[in-house]
Amino acid sequence: MPNPIEFDRNTIQHLAELARLHLTADRLPVLHQRLQRLVEAFGAVAGAPDPSADAAVHPDSDQAATTPESLRPDLPQPPLRQDQALANASKTAGGAFLVPRVIDA
Amino acid sequence: MSLPWPGSAGTLAAGVRRGDWSAVELARHALARIATHDGDLHAFVDVQTERALRQAQQIDAARHRGEQLGPFAGVPIAYKDNLALAGECTTAGSRILRGYRAPYTATVLARLEAAGAVLLGSTNLDEFGMGSTTTSSVHGPTHNPYGRHLVPGGSSGGSAVAVAADFCPLAIGSDTGGSVRQPASFCGISGLKPTWGRVSRSGLVAYASSLDCIGALARDPADLALWLDVVGGPDPADPTTRPAIAAVATQPPREHLRGLRIGIPWQLNGPGLDDEVAAVAAAAARTAASLGAELVDCDLPGVEHAVPTYYLLATTEAASNLARYDGVRYGHRREALGRLDSTVTQTRSSGFGLEVQLRILLGTFASSHAHAAQFQRRAERARAALQARFAALFAQCDVVLSPTSPIPAFAADAFPDDPLALYLCDALTVPQSLCGLPALSIPGGRSQDGRPIGVQWTAPADHEAVLLQLAAVFRAHTDHHLHRPLP
Repeated sequence: MPNPIEFDRNTIQHLAELARLHLTADRLPVLHQRLQRLVEAFGAVAGAPDPSADAAVHPDSDQAATTPESLRPDLPQPPLRQDQALANASKTAGGAFLVPRVIDA
Repeated sequence: MSLPWPGSAGTLAAGVRRGDWSAVELARHALARIATHDGDLHAFVDVQTERALRQAQQIDAARHRGEQLGPFAGVPIAYKDNLALAGECTTAGSRILRGYRAPYTATVLARLEAAGAVLLGSTNLDEFGMGSTTTSSVHGPTHNPYGRHLVPGGSSGGSAVAVAADFCPLAIGSDTGGSVRQPASFCGISGLKPTWGRVSRSGLVAYASSLDCIGALARDPADLALWLDVVGGPDPADPTTRPAIAAVATQPPREHLRGLRIGIPWQLNGPGLDDEVAAVAAAAARTAASLGAELVDCDLPGVEHAVPTYYLLATTEAASNLARYDGVRYGHRREALGRLDSTVTQTRSSGFGLEVQLRILLGTFASSHAHAAQFQRRAERARAALQARFAALFAQCDVVLSPTSPIPAFAADAFPDDPLALYLCDALTVPQSLCGLPALSIPGGRSQDGRPIGVQWTAPADHEAVLLQLAAVFRAHTDHHLHRPLP
């Protein structure tokens, strides 16, 4: 069996940073407890005998799903119009998505 | 002529084509029934009354012009709120997509409309399809018509309730780890998850792309066959779609099950099952045998790893798929500190619910540099091993029988603070998802207190026809499908 995973609050805070999440004070203990339990339980698959089969990246590995027939013709298609692309944005300006500053002054 | 409501989609469409009733009459009837009962049940997120009536009028006008009408002419159909319909809201049950209006239409809905279907509106789901209770939606929970305290299953719970409450004969769902089959089981109807790639996912909000399938729920399995023929097949907008198969709905019906070998893996038919569920599955096996099928006791080793395998891979893919929600181009945004990075973090933290955050964190962990070899890669190999074992199983039998869920519908507060216990209830539906196999849940009986119990049939890839033929034979020889929860 692999070593048990140390799963303290620093670990979950690190994961949250990787996932671009800020865990609120009320959610942090709940997520910590649940994640700990899931990782412990799912360690069973980590400890299962390593089968000889190759890893599957596709659920239908016998038949390559992406065949030439399943690809669309190599013809450029019009993208969304600019107004369509902007229609769902929270803020726009001058025909662009408006976001807070990216680079500190 | 009076409407044959509730009737099958095929019956309703035939009547529209003949002129026995109009598409507008059907739409009005469906909308009136929704208005009467859905306040209680909350199957729908958005009832699109004006759009539905407009579509129905177009069908009737086409008939008056003498045009050929499609196989779903005038049939009211509901669709899950994770499918795009141009100009309408698609939220996936999440605050982060609240107010999002789709700029294009999902292939599955476009094909249904081209076949004459009248879309009634979008149905409720667990946020991003991540759940089996339809309680985590930002729109609030959906209730089971067999008992308002019971969950309808999920994540396609709204679509299941729409059919069970006879709002429509057919509803569209999606199934990543059982999200069509389990709610069908909990609501006493049939639910089909096709082979992975059979139905285009263009326009489906992605959860876990190597597992996501669009499926359908109906009272009559013949309607599922019709649906599959209309929406299945290659789509240039989704290169993961599979080559076409022979039409299913027009294949000659079976009168019996002679010559059919039904595999019964002990791992899916005994350990951990509720007694009444086990009894229903055993009764289904006896019925199949009485109709001529050969029962084959068999073994499916490794399937005990299916739940962890599924959750490690599904959440890994979800963590990646949901990275697109940053509040910049669409959806909810919460600005913070006047900075983009803080805004993205606050947007995601306030936009995603607790379960979605949990799964993103689990997937981030499983695929992280430090742990991927031990979790994600092992899970991928376990998946490949299970695929090989199913292939070996199908050398011994034509279809596999199991219950759909280890337990019948439960109360919404049955699993407080214990996601693992809830995840383990997916043990009978995630193996097929991991292997891309088609599977069908049909009504198999009810518990002593009246809760529906479904049985699940699984076939090799591209063999949906045998599942739907088998379901039709069961329907002809049993009465489990007849019960209706509402007057």
